[in-house]
Amino acid sequence: MNAPVGLYQYQTADREFLASRIAEFEGQVQRRLSGDLTEDEFKPLRLMNGLYLQLHAYMLRVAIPYGVLDSRQMRKLAHIARRYDRDYGHFTTRQNIQFNWIKLEETPEILRQLADVDMHAIQTSGNCIRNVTCDQFAGAAADELMDPRVHAEILRQWSTLHPEFTFLPRKFKIAISGSPHDRVAARFHDIGILARPGENGPLFRIFVGGGLGRTPLVGHELFDSVPEADLLMTLEAALRVYNAYGRRDNIYKARIKILVQALGIDGYRKAVEHELSLMNPEHYRLDPETVAAIKARFAAPDLTASPDAESRLKADRQNDIAFDRWVRSNTHPHFAPGRIAVTVSIKPAGGIPGDATSDQLDRLADLADQFSFGELRITHLQNVVLAHVAQDRLLKLWQALNAIGLGDANHELIGDIVACPGLDYCALANARSIPIAQKLSARFGDNALQEEIGKLRINISGCINACGHHHVGHIGLLGVDKRGEEFFQITLGGRDDALSRTGDILGAALPEDDMVDAIARIVDRYLSVREKGEQFLDTLTRLGDAPFKEAAYETV
Amino acid sequence: MKRAIRIGAGEALVLTANRLLDGLIVWRDANGSWQRSIAHAAILSPEEYESALDAATKSAQNDGVVGVYEVVVRPGAIAAPVSVRERIRAFGPTVHPQFATELNA
Repeated sequence: MNAPVGLYQYQTADREFLASRIAEFEGQVQRRLSGDLTEDEFKPLRLMNGLYLQLHAYMLRVAIPYGVLDSRQMRKLAHIARRYDRDYGHFTTRQNIQFNWIKLEETPEILRQLADVDMHAIQTSGNCIRNVTCDQFAGAAADELMDPRVHAEILRQWSTLHPEFTFLPRKFKIAISGSPHDRVAARFHDIGILARPGENGPLFRIFVGGGLGRTPLVGHELFDSVPEADLLMTLEAALRVYNAYGRRDNIYKARIKILVQALGIDGYRKAVEHELSLMNPEHYRLDPETVAAIKARFAAPDLTASPDAESRLKADRQNDIAFDRWVRSNTHPHFAPGRIAVTVSIKPAGGIPGDATSDQLDRLADLADQFSFGELRITHLQNVVLAHVAQDRLLKLWQALNAIGLGDANHELIGDIVACPGLDYCALANARSIPIAQKLSARFGDNALQEEIGKLRINISGCINACGHHHVGHIGLLGVDKRGEEFFQITLGGRDDALSRTGDILGAALPEDDMVDAIARIVDRYLSVREKGEQFLDTLTRLGDAPFKEAAYETV
Repeated sequence: MKRAIRIGAGEALVLTANRLLDGLIVWRDANGSWQRSIAHAAILSPEEYESALDAATKSAQNDGVVGVYEVVVRPGAIAAPVSVRERIRAFGPTVHPQFATELNA
């Protein structure tokens, strides 16, 4: 087997399934075009294949399971953007990619092109278990306890077309990490899983009932230490309780978080335990042989690095201040000596967060081949990770990224803005997210200034559905409609790590025109009152929001 | 059930939809044809629009459009939608000027 690094190698059965699924959808498209299917009949069918009708055109959301793809898949995405769309794609907060200008009649052909490289658009819409997300440094991070990708793949296989869970009360999002540092926002998912090794095999801490949207809630711990053998049975039981008792009468009350809130976590756990007592453990047991067989379909890279890789990187950093700054902000320690994980910022100053042109996608594929075993990851912060770069080649990679406009040193800084497509594209949005992100990232474009400001994440959502995760932004912006005009509400203090909490509303919404200046005043106030060593959240915790409220509304 | 429509003084209505084949936005002209540019949209009074909307909805499949509905505009040389949402639909995404809708189309 010549498996790609970092992702599951499809088998014949996987490919046959995709081919039959595409043939089925092609027939549905033809019946829609001929008028045999009405739009109301067709809509759920196209959504099951990732095809939305958005503000300006059809939008196709392509699944990137647990955010990992290889260079040939990235080149195929570039080809689709170039041939079938308008020369760019948009990486989403669920580690997927969207194309905004797709033609309905060309969709089956696009799906065939995707299937050629073992990709599809299933589980990117509808009330099913959506694409499972994962730690972007999985299998690379020095702080990792165990690689979660094998179990992410098991969850993918378990959830794909699961007959019980295809028509849930509402969509269902799962994230998994194997690090003690939560990089997947586990507590803000319907189910969040933190994996760790145990004496007798992996153990899984499971959170349930988290989520954002119009009712943001931090998830509760359902179980602390589920053994590997019982993982699928436990998830199956948790979903069965939701499927049976989750509300279907009100779309705004239908997510699992509302049910968990209604029952209380103890009540929900009791219901899950009752369901478990009715199940046959042998039927659901995840045995070590199955896990090993799936693990065998992932190729492991040879991470041996040059003995002087670290010293050469040190010398390169001393010779170039800008490179040194980029290494500080955009790399993460690797467990293998001489290797380092790189976050490629898809957030250039003044750019659209998460947008990449066809040429950039192609070039990222080339760089993955040259520097990271042909493997790439998409992050839930809308960036790209090359996980296994040799430290002595890091300078060359950074220079190559600069040549395509993706060398900014701003990861997790104020320029690393997370934004939904907003009213420029989305049929649900109340306000435009992207223009404010562009103006803010241009205003704070200087990488040295961003480093001086320190860790400060801005998240922007164009409506209460919160696709820009504004609730967990250190500064969050929510677009609201007031008599057809755009206003934004500011929240402060959100975070999605182990100390997860939603931000607090600062005050009345401000007009779109005032937003950039208001945020700049908040940042200026922070810089003037912070104490040595403090990050924005530290200062906010120490002083409360009063000084920032005063700054934001200074001119109102 | 018809939605309540708030129309201010000097405002009128036009009909819009998306094309079935490619999803692009179209506007209904005075002949009942669908055009890419709002510049060609028929301006309707509150008294006129309901029957026009009914007719357009009934012929949507034959006309190759989906999701027919009305938009409040301020009439002028080119009708200007009142809401930001509909202005973006009419003239294109504000973040990609190269994708602006050609008004003479």
